[in-house]
Amino acid sequence: MSDPFKPRAAFAPWDRRELPGLFTVEESARRVGNYKWLEMRLFESLGGWVATVPELDVKLVLGRHCYHHAWHAELMDKRLPELREMNTDRLCEPANPEMAAFVEALREPEAPEHTIEKLVGIFRVLLPRKIAAYTYHMNATSRITDSPTQRSLGFMLQDEFEDWREGEMLLQSLIETPDDVERAARRQSELEQLILAAGGIAGPGTLGSETVTEGASV
Amino acid sequence: MRKQLPPEMLARDSRFVRTSIMDQVMDPRNAKMGERDLGSARLQPERPAAADRARNLMHGIFTGEIQALEGAGRTTFDFDDEQAPFALKLDMARQCWDESRHVEISVKLGDWMGTEIGEYSEATFLYEAACAPDPILRLCGVNRALEGLAIDVFNTMKEFGDLSGDPVLEFCEDWMLADEVTHVKMGSDWLRRLTADDPERRERALDFQRTVDKLFSLGGFRGESEDNPIQLARAFRSMAGFSTDEIDELAEIAAQAQLDAQAMVAGSS
Amino acid sequence: MSNITLIPAGFTLVKFDADQVRELIGQTMAEVGFPADVAVTIEVDEVLPHPLTASLVDIVDGEAKLWFTGGCFESPKRQTGLSVDHTRVELGSAFLRAKDRLSEGFVNAPRDEELDDRQRTIWDAYAEGRLVALGYPVRVQRRRYTFRLYGGFNDVADAAFARLWSGDALSWNDLSAMADELVAADTRPPRKKSLRKETLRSAPAA
Repeated sequence: MSDPFKPRAAFAPWDRRELPGLFTVEESARRVGNYKWLEMRLFESLGGWVATVPELDVKLVLGRHCYHHAWHAELMDKRLPELREMNTDRLCEPANPEMAAFVEALREPEAPEHTIEKLVGIFRVLLPRKIAAYTYHMNATSRITDSPTQRSLGFMLQDEFEDWREGEMLLQSLIETPDDVERAARRQSELEQLILAAGGIAGPGTLGSETVTEGASV
Repeated sequence: MRKQLPPEMLARDSRFVRTSIMDQVMDPRNAKMGERDLGSARLQPERPAAADRARNLMHGIFTGEIQALEGAGRTTFDFDDEQAPFALKLDMARQCWDESRHVEISVKLGDWMGTEIGEYSEATFLYEAACAPDPILRLCGVNRALEGLAIDVFNTMKEFGDLSGDPVLEFCEDWMLADEVTHVKMGSDWLRRLTADDPERRERALDFQRTVDKLFSLGGFRGESEDNPIQLARAFRSMAGFSTDEIDELAEIAAQAQLDAQAMVAGSS
Repeated sequence: MSNITLIPAGFTLVKFDADQVRELIGQTMAEVGFPADVAVTIEVDEVLPHPLTASLVDIVDGEAKLWFTGGCFESPKRQTGLSVDHTRVELGSAFLRAKDRLSEGFVNAPRDEELDDRQRTIWDAYAEGRLVALGYPVRVQRRRYTFRLYGGFNDVADAAFARLWSGDALSWNDLSAMADELVAADTRPPRKKSLRKETLRSAPAA
């Protein structure tokens, strides 16, 4: 029989998590606020678009994905007070005016003929950016001190990957002619320019570089 | 994308054909129908044309679910963060998913029963209830009136499935019924929360709900007698947060709507 | 060409073109092989809309008497408008049953108003199965659901439906035996029987 009182290491040999992380509490909170704002605008857009797309399968997928992003917003909203941000509305904002402009442009198409434009914005521009940003956050932040954020981002990424795949498949099935290819590419290019100007969904440094807080590493 | 999307802009593919409530009201056959003794209108397997009546209702449920999805979706978008609290929008997003699932279920049930998408014309008066400019009016019109009607309809269909021994229909309707009870409760909770300090707004919202309820009872469609195809589901409504007084009031609205319909027929014949 | 009488001669409550309906009647009779020398009276009760669908077929003194609600011919998509597909299928099915009634194998079949729901749904499935073979726009799942509604949601009923759908040269005795088979396999509680069988073909209220 094993001895239950025998001293054991706090971390099992296979648990390789380390304390160091690139984000301070404030930086993680800032990003989480940006994510919440973006997830809110995203679920609102998908909800609004449901009535404007004639394709039944797309309509139903948008209805489903609308809730996924609302849930992401809720997860981020719940995380903010845990990051010392008691007023959860204060940090719920776009990373910068360029990001706000990107979202404004993203949700602009309305006509029933513009399903490709709507889906390109979401699935070929925004979701890849979100996947990148959330992955960076997961990898950059401390796996011990900020693990609640990591855990939420893990759930969110699971949705993002599956939703991206579903949306991309819808797009491939809707793009039927060389003109459609042009339309999709044009739309993607327009929006990429805007999000490039924003520096990513959390602003410049979304994927690292200059906004990394000096000395945050332990 | 604009805020407040009018019903005529609801996007549909080429299979769908829209009808107006006026088409139905002005149908010259209505008066002649009123003169006939057609027996009970209640949806039951032993009634004549039960299969086609059930299919027709199923397609109505299908288009109603699409509109409920669209209505909930628009509520997430049409109001800014001051007009509609974050938690309310989350609830509406959740409802989007639920309604999306209900459309999926309805499509499968339509296949099961032998209907095709767009086989029947679509009236948009359900979505019209979701166009109110005040979010709480919308919640009352959609979650309490429309989703309340859905409780009655699903319960009627569930009973039909049970009586006819159709395991698929009964199974699906029971699941959808569970969701609708949740949606109605959501509406009741938000009505209380958002109007706690504003009795006038609450009264306006309840008035709007009565109007929508009356519309949904039009021509005796819903009620508690054998003349009503859709039966008022008292037990489930109670579970969803309706008080007995509210259910009694709805029963009166439905009975009055039926009397109005009979008077209209008598007046036109 | 048969002596065909359409009642009413012209429609006033629905937007059916009586000439088009007559043309569809003639075309359908020819396609299903209904004998051209049998007089036919077709009555359409235009008051009753879709989904109030019902029809009756009987042979009276050698003449075929067909009755339909207007709902049988109406487009569910366009209120009061005619659906050519629905009309063809309803007419085709009715003429096949009328043709059955003229044959030796159905001399003992009860009148339509005396058939119970199970017997009627069996005969309808047999008729529509033959229409499929003639290329009519019949929807198998629609008929299958109606069949299950009255015949039972079970394997015995489904197997019976499959036999009917591909059946040919069946007699009333065959259909009647199938009805007994379905009754035996049906585990649903028996439905209450009203004193008078409800029908949509009713006289105006007093």
